[in-house]
Amino acid sequence: MSRVSVADRVARLRDDFDRSFADPARVLDGEMVELLAVRAGGRPYAIRLDQCSGLHPDRPVTALPTTVRALIGVAGFAGTVVPVYDLAGLLAHPVPQRPRWLLLTTGEPPLALAFHELDRHLRVPVTDVIGGSADGDRKGCLRGMVRLPDGDRPIVDVTAARALVHQLAGHRPVPEETR
Amino acid sequence: MAEGGRDPLRYFRIEARELIDQISAGVLDLDQRAGPEPVARLLRFAHTLKGAARVVRQKDIADRAHAFEEVLVPHRTDEGSLAAEEMRELLRLNDEIASYVSALEKPAEPEKAAAPPDVPAPESDPEPAEAATHRASTRDLDELLDAIGETNARMAPLRTGCSTVERLHRSAVNLADQLRLDRAGTTTAARAAAERLAGELGSAGRRFTDAVDQIERELDDVRAKAEGLRLVPVGSVFTTLRRAVRDAADSEGRRVRFVSRGAGIRMGAHLLGPVSGAFLHVVRNAVVHGIEPEDVRLAAGKPAEGTITLEVERRGRHAVFRCVDDGRGFDLEALRSTALARGLLPSGGRPPDTDELLRLVLQGGISTSPSVTEVSGRGIGMDAVREVAVQLQGEVAVRSEPGRGATVELVIPLALLAMTGLIVEAGGTVATLPLDAVRACVRLSPEEVTAAAASGRLVHEDSAAPFLPLAEALYTGSTVPDSPGIGAAVVINGDNGVFAIGVDRLAGTSALVARPLPDLAPAAPVIGSVAVDADGNPRLVLDPLGLADEVLRNLRGGDRTAAPAVAEPLPILVVDDSLTTRMLERSILESAGYEVDLAASGEEGLERAAARSYGLFLTDIDMPGIDGFTFVERTRADPKLATVPAILVSSRASAADRDRGRAAGASAYVVKGEFDQEQLLEHIRRLVVRT
Repeated sequence: MSRVSVADRVARLRDDFDRSFADPARVLDGEMVELLAVRAGGRPYAIRLDQCSGLHPDRPVTALPTTVRALIGVAGFAGTVVPVYDLAGLLAHPVPQRPRWLLLTTGEPPLALAFHELDRHLRVPVTDVIGGSADGDRKGCLRGMVRLPDGDRPIVDVTAARALVHQLAGHRPVPEETR
Repeated sequence: MAEGGRDPLRYFRIEARELIDQISAGVLDLDQRAGPEPVARLLRFAHTLKGAARVVRQKDIADRAHAFEEVLVPHRTDEGSLAAEEMRELLRLNDEIASYVSALEKPAEPEKAAAPPDVPAPESDPEPAEAATHRASTRDLDELLDAIGETNARMAPLRTGCSTVERLHRSAVNLADQLRLDRAGTTTAARAAAERLAGELGSAGRRFTDAVDQIERELDDVRAKAEGLRLVPVGSVFTTLRRAVRDAADSEGRRVRFVSRGAGIRMGAHLLGPVSGAFLHVVRNAVVHGIEPEDVRLAAGKPAEGTITLEVERRGRHAVFRCVDDGRGFDLEALRSTALARGLLPSGGRPPDTDELLRLVLQGGISTSPSVTEVSGRGIGMDAVREVAVQLQGEVAVRSEPGRGATVELVIPLALLAMTGLIVEAGGTVATLPLDAVRACVRLSPEEVTAAAASGRLVHEDSAAPFLPLAEALYTGSTVPDSPGIGAAVVINGDNGVFAIGVDRLAGTSALVARPLPDLAPAAPVIGSVAVDADGNPRLVLDPLGLADEVLRNLRGGDRTAAPAVAEPLPILVVDDSLTTRMLERSILESAGYEVDLAASGEEGLERAAARSYGLFLTDIDMPGIDGFTFVERTRADPKLATVPAILVSSRASAADRDRGRAAGASAYVVKGEFDQEQLLEHIRRLVVRT
């Protein structure tokens, strides 16, 4: 019984392999989106990989006394001191647990976002990403959703998160508004 | 650094730059104060340069150094000053040599290096060359830091190796135990072998771990020192400015003295370059537009010779550059009419006051000089300072008093700041305090902690200093891990008297380079800056001013206590060949309110001791040249110095050395390894001679 099934499987795999050469390339790279499936403050999110420049687990973060709640502290990356913001805090549902993962964002000045769990890396067709308008309740850091078999995930827009951080840190000429 | 071996001029460039800097300064010294001593010194430099230039076949430099010597040789024994044309010739040769040396320093422009200008323009600005040197050395340092970083990174596998050896050691011990207990049949030989293996692995592991520990500590130290080297002493640009003053005075026919203060302050070359460029204009302006001709000065009851003072000082995280002249001040009338003519002032309105007019000077495009001379137009100079201020996020201020002089002040924030830090732990956080702000550290008993925390004050030296536990000032809102509670207080000098913070533990001192907090990390004012430790993790550096505010705020407007005034002790002379020790001791002593002079060798120490009255000598033992014992003996033998107490500070801890120190005449002996700041200060308070 088991011998038959193994033989069947080998034959099927061989057929699949051969056929893969005959089939035209179905999906071009440009039509795929790479995402990180993460969990911040217990809720699932996705982050576009092209908005990240590095991902680090268990990096020591030096706590900083500050009035900006989402600012956890600073961490060192190759000699550069980088501010670390709690993603759950930026999305307005902070939890007491320290986030484990630091994500270095693209853009200047240097900025790291911290989240609690990394679920997996995703490569999905662009059609699975549903662009949406900004979610007003969440300070506009979310842009669209990705449709996945285990449920839809809102996508964190790193650019919008950075803009929020700039505003919180008083980096742009915005009146002091730290909460 | 790889091309270093193939470049025969590499070391010559460094030496020639050093010599030409010394020659440039020496010529200006000679100009102000003639005599056989400065002539001899210049001859020595020129001769060294000639020799070095011949070795690397730099004939142009060697010939000019020779010509330079020829001018000086007849004045070897002269007390009088050199003739004006001889001075001019020296300056011309100095500039020519300088431009050849600069050409050598620019390998990126080969055509220039190959064919240096035949007649270098005397006004040619030595500044770019100087900046190039700074840049070059910064690059060298960056390479050095990278190399150290690389080496540091190699420590990780060694660490892993240590644990592997330790694990092997444990298995060998287990194996030996099993062989001994379980198997009756095992041979004695096998058991002995296993035991030997365990023993060897054990001692190898210990040696391995010790070595790794030590290398790690040393690398940490080297890294911190190299980071500090990135910073350049301000004095390195003073010669250029002094020369600019001399040249301007020469071409205007004025007599001007140049005074500089704050040469030892260090800052990044990227700051010093632009600032000194702008101040070249400022000092020239001061000569051309400020200092009056001799007869005018005399008629006004001023000394015939004008004075231009350049002061640099550190104010917290800022550096202040100030150029003060005792000339005629800004020509406010001319400013007013120029401003009116350009439509910068509302016509028919109230006449502008002095401050408004000076503000116009800062806004630029206005010059008080009727003609822009070759040397300067005042407006251009002010524009240069303003631009630098914008570029470096600094501020400019101008003050002027008619007939008395003018002041131009530039305040810039320092990006990197080398300092010695006192590492403290409080409520699970490790932070660093600039050691130069620390007045004292005191151990506290639990009762004292309770009393201080309840009253918000700590009794220190007969005064009640405002007190705040540091953990409160650093509270970040997260849960604090178990901490031992306050065990010590750090007494800090504030602008409004001393105050104290309570810490769990003092964890030693370390050299560090503090940098500003990153843009997106706004922190409470108690945090001044951040440093990166050997593991690459940020460490917070506390701001004494911010802490003072926080402590006082906590006291809710309670009365402030000023630092108690004490009798005047005479200055202390520190003799030590280690720069680090000198600086550490200086900062400890200065924090305790003493004036400190430094000497890098026993010989220098004797020289200084003969030149000034000291209240105490603090000397190292092991130094090149005469050692600390000899220094103490010689000072004891000199009737003028025998009354000045001497303290030996050394890493030698043996009873024999202590005895020898006592025999030599030292009043106290402090061992560096068990260095206790309080104990040292206690000795000094007891011994120091007061006026």
